[in-house]
Amino acid sequence: MNTVRVPSPLRDYTGGVARIGASGSTVAEILGHIEQQHRGMRFRMIDEQDRIRPHIRIFVNQREVRSLDEAVAPRDEIHLVCALSGG
Amino acid sequence: MTLNAAERERYSRHLLLPEIGAAGQERLKAARVLVIGAGGLGSPASLYLAAAGIGTLGIVDHDRVDLSNLQRQLLFDTASVGAGKAVAAQARLRALNGEINVVAHELELRAANALELLRQYDCIVDGSDRLTTRYLVNDACVLLRRPLVSAAIHRFEGQAMTYVPGQGPCYRCLFPQSSAGAAPSCAEAGVLGVLPGMLGALQATEAIKVVLGIGAPLVGRLMTYDALAMEWHEFRFRQRADCAVCGDVPSITTLADSEASCRSETTGQWPRYKPEELARQLRAAALEQRKAPLLVDVREQHEFATGHLPDSVNIPLADLGLRLEELPADCAVVFVCRTGRRSLAACDISSLGGLRSVADLEGGLIAWAAAIDPSLNVA
Repeated sequence: MNTVRVPSPLRDYTGGVARIGASGSTVAEILGHIEQQHRGMRFRMIDEQDRIRPHIRIFVNQREVRSLDEAVAPRDEIHLVCALSGG
Repeated sequence: MTLNAAERERYSRHLLLPEIGAAGQERLKAARVLVIGAGGLGSPASLYLAAAGIGTLGIVDHDRVDLSNLQRQLLFDTASVGAGKAVAAQARLRALNGEINVVAHELELRAANALELLRQYDCIVDGSDRLTTRYLVNDACVLLRRPLVSAAIHRFEGQAMTYVPGQGPCYRCLFPQSSAGAAPSCAEAGVLGVLPGMLGALQATEAIKVVLGIGAPLVGRLMTYDALAMEWHEFRFRQRADCAVCGDVPSITTLADSEASCRSETTGQWPRYKPEELARQLRAAALEQRKAPLLVDVREQHEFATGHLPDSVNIPLADLGLRLEELPADCAVVFVCRTGRRSLAACDISSLGGLRSVADLEGGLIAWAAAIDPSLNVA
């Protein structure tokens, strides 16, 4: 099970929880597992063409994910980051 | 630009630092830094930059001080309420350090004036409260080759990055474009008052480093901060070859106001109901037993759960594009949100998606609670 860090704009889907667990060997599988647990959350991050939405970034540990096919190791931490606008 | 005796005393703790010293302090004195937004971020950033002796400090803001600002915007005090922010900030910063030149720019940053203004400064600190302004500022900095220290906040979280021309990626490389409803403002989402203190101080640190050419600025690095977990994280990101403004073949070669920004300021495009008008419509529909307009609340789920209008349905703005088919095309739809900002974006999205009769509640549920139903709990 990997740890996934959820940014506050998406926490409505996780009941306010900042860290959730999800399993998978690729980013796509992790996102699929997130969607099973928190319906509608994947669509906030991924568009209909399976592209990461332009105001969302996904990082595996410190590394930026550019493709959903990228591999995820068992202990990797997934960080979902959302563009914030407040000042 | 030499230091006088009072300045040598004032900046003595800087002069002791080998990384700054007299030469560095003179460099700060010669520097011109522009802070965009005298808000939560701009307050600590500009206070520290003024205290540090930035020779020319510009402050851009077209807003007025509101009582609700004082929970986090330390530039202002109770007596400032109602005053223009840029001018009030100028007075506070001048009082802090009379050795520097503080310039108040009481204007709204737009495509038509951004290049001319930013060109006058060596380094830009973005503390604006709107995504469209963030992109405008980023694009102007890339086009003018000016360093940009960017930060943003939301509830208990913040993020920051620095762009230095020729040295790394820009804000658009990180987030290529914004999305309606993706990032509610502080007024809509709430914010911990002390949060911008952390991020604004970080911005001042970065600006000083950039001006002095010392240390390792946040180039190609995104810092995120979570006040609840008390965690900082650092992420690496690269320049995008396809970046619209700093990529190999840029499509942005001059500034333009984003569509969303323009539309949000030309609110005559959709009917906007005042609370009294909407209440009258709903009453009349009930009395005459005809179909009332469908009320669609585009706030987040937790806001809706706190309190909402009777018979309204909840579709968060960010989901609206995908869930438009849930809205009957033959029915009049009235979008509502907290302040009337997200509901206006919802009018845009649904109209582009084919809905024929859309309107929204001007002033949002805050206005509704004030005019119609004080018992409505608005998150």
